[in-house]
Amino acid sequence: MALIQVDQLVKVYPGGVRAVDDISFVVEEGEIFGFLGPNGAGKTTTIRVIVTLLEPTSGRVTVDGIDVVADPEPVRRRVGYAAQFIGVDDDLTAMENLVMQGRLHGLEPREAERRSHELLEVLQLVEVAGRRAGTFSGGMRRRLDLGQALVHGPRVLFLDEPTTGLDPQTRRALWEYLRELNSRGVTIFLTTQYLEEADALATRLAIIDQGVIAIEGTPAVLKRGLGGDAITVTLPGDAGTDATEQAARVLERFSDTGEASRFERSARVFTAEAASRLAEVVRALDGASVKVARLEVSEPTLDDVFLRHTGSRMRVEESKPPSRLRMFGRQR
Amino acid sequence: MTRTLRESGILWARQMKKLVRIPLLLFFALAQPLIFLLLFSQVFSNLDRLPGFGYDSYLQFLVPSIVALTALNSAFQSGIGMVADIESGMLDKFLIAPIRRSSILFGKLFADATRSAAQATVIVLVSLLMGARFATGVAGVAAMIVLAALFGIAWAGLSNIIALRTGNGELTMIVGILITFPVLFLSTAFMPSILLPEWLDTVARFNPITYIVEALRALVNTGWDWTAIAQALGVTGGLAVVTFTGATLAFRKAIE
Repeated sequence: MALIQVDQLVKVYPGGVRAVDDISFVVEEGEIFGFLGPNGAGKTTTIRVIVTLLEPTSGRVTVDGIDVVADPEPVRRRVGYAAQFIGVDDDLTAMENLVMQGRLHGLEPREAERRSHELLEVLQLVEVAGRRAGTFSGGMRRRLDLGQALVHGPRVLFLDEPTTGLDPQTRRALWEYLRELNSRGVTIFLTTQYLEEADALATRLAIIDQGVIAIEGTPAVLKRGLGGDAITVTLPGDAGTDATEQAARVLERFSDTGEASRFERSARVFTAEAASRLAEVVRALDGASVKVARLEVSEPTLDDVFLRHTGSRMRVEESKPPSRLRMFGRQR
Repeated sequence: MTRTLRESGILWARQMKKLVRIPLLLFFALAQPLIFLLLFSQVFSNLDRLPGFGYDSYLQFLVPSIVALTALNSAFQSGIGMVADIESGMLDKFLIAPIRRSSILFGKLFADATRSAAQATVIVLVSLLMGARFATGVAGVAAMIVLAALFGIAWAGLSNIIALRTGNGELTMIVGILITFPVLFLSTAFMPSILLPEWLDTVARFNPITYIVEALRALVNTGWDWTAIAQALGVTGGLAVVTFTGATLAFRKAIE
């Protein structure tokens, strides 16, 4: 049986915003499930419903077969949640923060301390265990927050944009740790707006946009679904929309589905055996008198998958946290 | 029951750690009452010559009012703490733990009450140094501190309503001061009932603070006035029902 089952979930906020609009998916035990989408797509709302922080408007969600609305307590024992905006008590030390979380999850004092110490070591915070969290850097706070989500040994860990705002080095170290955690049997549910992050970590992913799941599958299958490698034609700086349109029309002849994407001054098509058909493409462009600045063949990326299925490019926004009270329960 | 105690105990311990570590949290609500105690006891010291005043000195008259004022101020710290916990993401952490929702509330109430009692104790100690005498002795002082803390809890409901509706710590503090002043001066806190203008005396009769102050005042000056204590407890209970209902509704709305 699936570890997480989301069935026709709908969440409408007071005021009428339809944050999640009838989505269904499952997460199997042992997966690293990537939930990919731009800001405001409904990622956080979905997570907050699954971890029992938010009641759904309709639909059914179970974790390990337990209904999150009818029986939230055993669900809370099984999940760990590291929210997008870190929640640590600045006046308490790293150790005290962890022990408190462990105690709130029912661990005896000694057990909570043992687990906390273990996590501090793994997260490389052991040297600052006795320092107040308020003195920590962003990366240290993020690690401490992660520790808080893990102290009770959850079956599934929810991470909402865990690497937003982290420097590349810390980001990669965190990826490494998450893989290791996963190899020890912890299922991971991860939201991200970084396509490369989803590509690097997720064993399976779903793309959500405007409250609806556009597509789901493994990264490789999703990319293969585009029909081959990408041929991209870039036009010179003085080219107008007419020229772009013309280039796109030429490229469409090489697509199985007859579709080419149009961008500002460039067009792209996915086609099988792209490299060997390049000469044909050049001749066709020349025949149509399209002036070309650059022509390239590349492997499809998740960005392409995203574009295909949502009709827009992934917009990465480093959002500043709005007032938490407004966000509280209300974030999407 | 043991479970609620255990869970709220963990949260209470957290607040106590913060209180010890950040002494400002203790003195934040104390500054104004202390200034009032020092200034009013001097400026109004000759009021005891007025016919009908009925107390040995203005200081004896004033100390219970300052204890009540401390409870009011302390209560507004509760709402500010609530906003801080929401802003820092701590409340989320508590809500996602497998604990009862009521434990979160009780943990906060116990912590608020403890802080309020500690603050009242400081006021009592300072007034002793200034020469105040307590008619009911140590037991009376303890009763006074408990009564003030209970009233503080009831009043804290109001501060949480404002905090949850505005979502802003500074605004909560300002609104708190704006409410505290009229409520305090429209009671018998600074002038005995018989010396108040008639209209004000009428207003004071409908003001919950009057009943708290009168019960505390009896403990300090005359003795165990059980009628006054019963009235104070009744007013506190009634107020708590209203403010807690409001705070619960505001809380539900905020986490919806």
